[in-house]
Formats: sequence, C-alpha cells, structure tokens
Amino acid sequence: MQRGLQTLIRLALLALVLGLWEVLPRIGAVNPMLLPPLSDVATTLWGLLGRANVREAIAVTTLEVITAFAIAVPLGAAAGILLAENEYLGAIFKPMLFYVFSIPKSIFLPLFILAFGIGFGQKVGYAAFTTTFVVMMSATAAVESVRGDYILVARSFGATPAQIIWRIYVPCMMPVLLETLRISMIFNFTGVMIAEMYASRTGIGHLISNWGENFQLPQLFAGIIILSAVAIAFNETVRRLEARVGAWRQ
Amino acid sequence: MAAVSMNGSARAPASDIALEVRGLSHVYEAGDRAVPALQDIDMSVRAGRFIVIVGPSGCGKTSLLMMMAGLRAHSAGTLLCQGRPIPTPDPTRVGVVFQEASLFPWLTTLDNIEFPLSLRGVPAEERRRRAEAMLSLVGLKGFGARYPHELSGGMKQRVSIARGLVQDPPVLLMDEPFAALDEQTRMTMGHELLRIWSTTSKTVVFITHSLTEAVYLADEVYVMSPRPGRIIDHIEITLPRPRTYEMMATDVFGRLRERIWQQIRHAQ
Repeated sequence: MQRGLQTLIRLALLALVLGLWEVLPRIGAVNPMLLPPLSDVATTLWGLLGRANVREAIAVTTLEVITAFAIAVPLGAAAGILLAENEYLGAIFKPMLFYVFSIPKSIFLPLFILAFGIGFGQKVGYAAFTTTFVVMMSATAAVESVRGDYILVARSFGATPAQIIWRIYVPCMMPVLLETLRISMIFNFTGVMIAEMYASRTGIGHLISNWGENFQLPQLFAGIIILSAVAIAFNETVRRLEARVGAWRQ
Repeated sequence: MAAVSMNGSARAPASDIALEVRGLSHVYEAGDRAVPALQDIDMSVRAGRFIVIVGPSGCGKTSLLMMMAGLRAHSAGTLLCQGRPIPTPDPTRVGVVFQEASLFPWLTTLDNIEFPLSLRGVPAEERRRRAEAMLSLVGLKGFGARYPHELSGGMKQRVSIARGLVQDPPVLLMDEPFAALDEQTRMTMGHELLRIWSTTSKTVVFITHSLTEAVYLADEVYVMSPRPGRIIDHIEITLPRPRTYEMMATDVFGRLRERIWQQIRHAQ
C-alpha cells in the first residue's frame, strides 16, 4: 500500500515535469530555442533513430563502452584484490593509489590523444584508465569486507584454500563487487563521453557536442534522452541483481 | 584425580583419553622480541568429560584452544587428540564453537549447519537430514530457513553448537560461546548446553571468564595464570548431575567459586 502510493507520487511528478516541458515553451514562458517542447524533441528523437549516421554513432559508442569496461574491470579487480591480499604490495602501492585517485582524470585526456591519435584507441584507453582506478578502490574494499573470523571458522571445518575462496570470499564479496560493477560503469560511460566530446569524429558524445555547438537543441535533448535511457537501464539491471545477491546484508 | 596422574610411559588407550597435553609451551615473535605465551601446559582429558578453562584476559586460553583445534602451531611439547597429533584442523575429531557472530550471514540457518558437511562433499539429502537432526537437538526446529540476522544472540549460538556437532566429532571445543549474551540468556544457554552434552556424550573443552558458569558447567576446571599462561590449579567439581540452578546457592558451589577466584586473584 505504502509502496504503491510512493510509485503513484513518482509517476505524478514525472508527468508533471514532462507536462511542464511541453507547456512552458509553447506558451512562451521559457525560450523555445533553449528548451524545445517535449513533442518536438520526441519527433526529432524518432527521426534520429532512423538515420544511418546516428545508428552508427550509437554502435561506435556502445562498442567503446563495452571494450573499456572489459579492460578496466578485470584489470582493476585483479590489482585491487592483489593489493588488499598481499600486505607487502599493499604497503607500497596503497598510499600511491589514494594520491592518484584524488587527481581528476580528465587532465590526462590530451596525453591519450597524443599517444593514440583521435579515434577508438584514445576513447577506450582514456575510459579504461579512469574506470580501472574506481574498480581497484572498490575491489580493495570488497576484500576487506571479508572478516577474518569467517576464514577461521571455515578452516576449523577443514576448508581447503580453494574452498575458502569459493565458499567464503566470493559470496561475502559478491554484493560489494556488483556495486563496484554498477558504479564503475557510471565512470566508464562518463569517460567515453568526455573523450568523445573533447575530440572525436564519431560516437553519440561527438554528435551531442556538435548539436550543442550548432544550436540544434531538439537533437541535443534527443541525444541526452538516448544516453540517459541506456545508462539507467544498465544501472537498474545490476542494482536488481545486487539486491537479490545481497539480501543477507540486513 | 586419576586424570592428572597420567604420564608418557603409561598412556591410556585413545578411547579413554580424548585430549592429552604434555609440556606444551608456545613462544611467539612480536617484532624482534620473543614473547612466551604458554608455559608447560599439562592436561589430560578423559572422554566424555566437561572441562572448563578459566583465566584472565590474554592468558593464552584461546590460543590453547586453537592449538587443540589444529588451527595454530605450538613451539614445544605434545598435544594429542584421540591419541594422535592434530597439526591441521580435523573436523571428524574436533568441532569448534566460536565466540559470537561466527555464522555466515549469507547462508540460512540450515545451510550454515550443513556447511562443514558440504566441504567434504556429503550428498545433499544426507546433509539436510543431519542438519535437521542437529537443529532439533538444539531446540530450533522450524528455524532452518532464517538468516542469522533474523535470529537472537542465544539462537545464533545454538546454531553454532549445531554446526560444531554436525560432523559428530568426539571432542567439542568452545571459545567463550556465551560471552556476548545477557546474563539470563547465558544461564539458559548453559543449561541447554548441559542437556545437549548429556544426550551426545561428547568431550567438551569450554573457555569462559565467568566463574559461576565454570562451576555450574564443569566436571573439572583448569585455572590459568596471566601471561605466560600456566595451569595454576585443577579443580574437580564434585556437584552432582544433573546440575540445577538451585545448586548455585549452596555452600559447596560458593566454596568452589571462591577457590577459583582466589587462585586467579593471587596469580595477578
């Protein structure tokens, strides 16, 4: 009952925002050049999805996002787990990791352009670079969430090292790891977008940046809607999984 | 006290002596210092006895228990469980019940109890059957599907006991299992433990800070000194069984408790 009411309020708010988006530019309360009415944006969006160059841009961006993610997640997870498990390496590298983590990664983008040229390599490289740090930090936290008592208990029942990994570490870390996956995808997506908007010839980020420069506001908003939809869909999928796997965490 | 007069040449058959500790010492390294933790521990525990070890914090009693469980090495001396050394954990000989909250929070009560069996690849059906049996032994029938965070402190420790017993080991080691419980629950759990013990005829080694708990539960109490931990007294608790709450008010109970207290106090 309570939840139903909450959903109802949320839907009402959404309808209100969309309604205002349609009405305010139409009655001239907001400059329609800056905020085109929702129906115009929707028409543009439909038209854009049918265009070959937009479809290609979506395909390019998707491939970049997936590639960067596929590089950053195993790399960051392996490095993070190694730093958390190996006291010696941890002592040396953990403080350095915190220093580097605090630096805004976008200032390294020009270096990636110089190293890879403008294109796939530069965008994937930059996004993977920013994401690796996030995954590393979270993976370290995930390992540290495994309490020593659990391992001692498992050992007392004769668990082998492999059993300790599969029966203790994995289930204990799984909710944190999924959370890592979700958050690192946000960083990963942002990385690709920044790289595309900064210097690129293809991709959704490049199109959005162009539309902005040419004052094509309906296209710009349509692009924002496409990207938001993709990002929210991924985030919610992982979050569902996270809630199911982590039900035991009170 | 026949149990104390054993020596190396006249070793009793393994079936009679569940645990034997002779001249056990342990020294651990802290930085470049060698810290003596345990010194010349001698214990001889007959099968089926309820042994309680008391001593001040940091006296090494938990270390001693971990050694009996095969979880920690010792520097010198002999430690035999069922007549054989125990260099690594052997759940078929020794079950362990830890302090609070050692249940795995991601497993249900039944899965927690089955955990030791599943490590050894016992078939699912048999696992479930044995876990269910343990669950009713500890009085938690019907709680199998609950997660640990849905159980009270006392219930969690019942599950811990069930998990420690599920492989049917002859020896059960318990490291301050009720220390985190409130006084009332603690008394009830002590009583419950005695009931479980009397139906399973296990050898129990139980560590506690509570002198009342020690006298109430034990056949024999070993008193340990502060670090380096030594056995400074070994007391036979002559109170009849089954033990009742009323016994706590008797003179005998008071004198036994007082004797342990004096030993601990003077050893400081």
